[in-house]
Amino acid sequence: MPTNLTPDISSLAEAQIRVPQHVVYRSFPSETVVLNLNTGKYHGLNATAGAMLEALERAPRVCDAAAAVASDYEQPHADVERDMCELCQLLLDRGLVEIDGGPAG
Amino acid sequence: MVARPAELHRATSSDGAAVGPLSFGQRTRLAAEIIVAFVRARHALHRAPIDTAVAMLRMHARARSETTATTPADIELAEARRLGRAVVRTLTLVPGDTRCLVRSLVLTRLLARRGIPAKLVIGARAAPDFLAHAWVECAGHPVISPGDGSYGRLIEL
Repeated sequence: MPTNLTPDISSLAEAQIRVPQHVVYRSFPSETVVLNLNTGKYHGLNATAGAMLEALERAPRVCDAAAAVASDYEQPHADVERDMCELCQLLLDRGLVEIDGGPAG
Repeated sequence: MVARPAELHRATSSDGAAVGPLSFGQRTRLAAEIIVAFVRARHALHRAPIDTAVAMLRMHARARSETTATTPADIELAEARRLGRAVVRTLTLVPGDTRCLVRSLVLTRLLARRGIPAKLVIGARAAPDFLAHAWVECAGHPVISPGDGSYGRLIEL
């Protein structure tokens, strides 16, 4: 059951994030455009955040997505995971992603 | 006013690719239908998310009857393009928000009432500056301006 209840940001690393049906996005070379059909609002993500969003959709947990992005961008895993958790928090606040099942134990 | 498929056939020129001109009475009824659809579209957008608004405007759509289903695609496309032009012309004279999304919603309703299948497309571009645009397509062809071709498709409704 998806939920928008926001856990502590550090616990987001173990959470599974999904993009709800009312959110669509498209990646352009310079930016990713996200449209929330419920609000009619468009949001812009820079290229790195767009890559993180795509990784979040593919990976079972945020930490797995962070590992994939850290590998692609050759950056320290801990830094990427922290940045990704912050991004998740921002996206959750705007209703652009949901936590699927809540954080794993 | 709902154009019957038979009327569409009669209105088709000999090359089958264009529909004939409307009489003054038909134009007036079409303009009135566009105004009503405009009011409904604004109301639907005010009350519901975009995808739900599209579904609301498609309610009571005429089902594709056997006759409609056999209407040649080029005749449907010509009729859809004519309706698209009529929507743009008519809404130019209407106060309020008559931008691309509302125009597309109005046209979606008109097409649904005639049993002509169509998709409302929402697109966006990120550079040189952010812009979003909505248009309508029938059988993959735009029947209201899709912009300058710089818009990537976000969703089809």
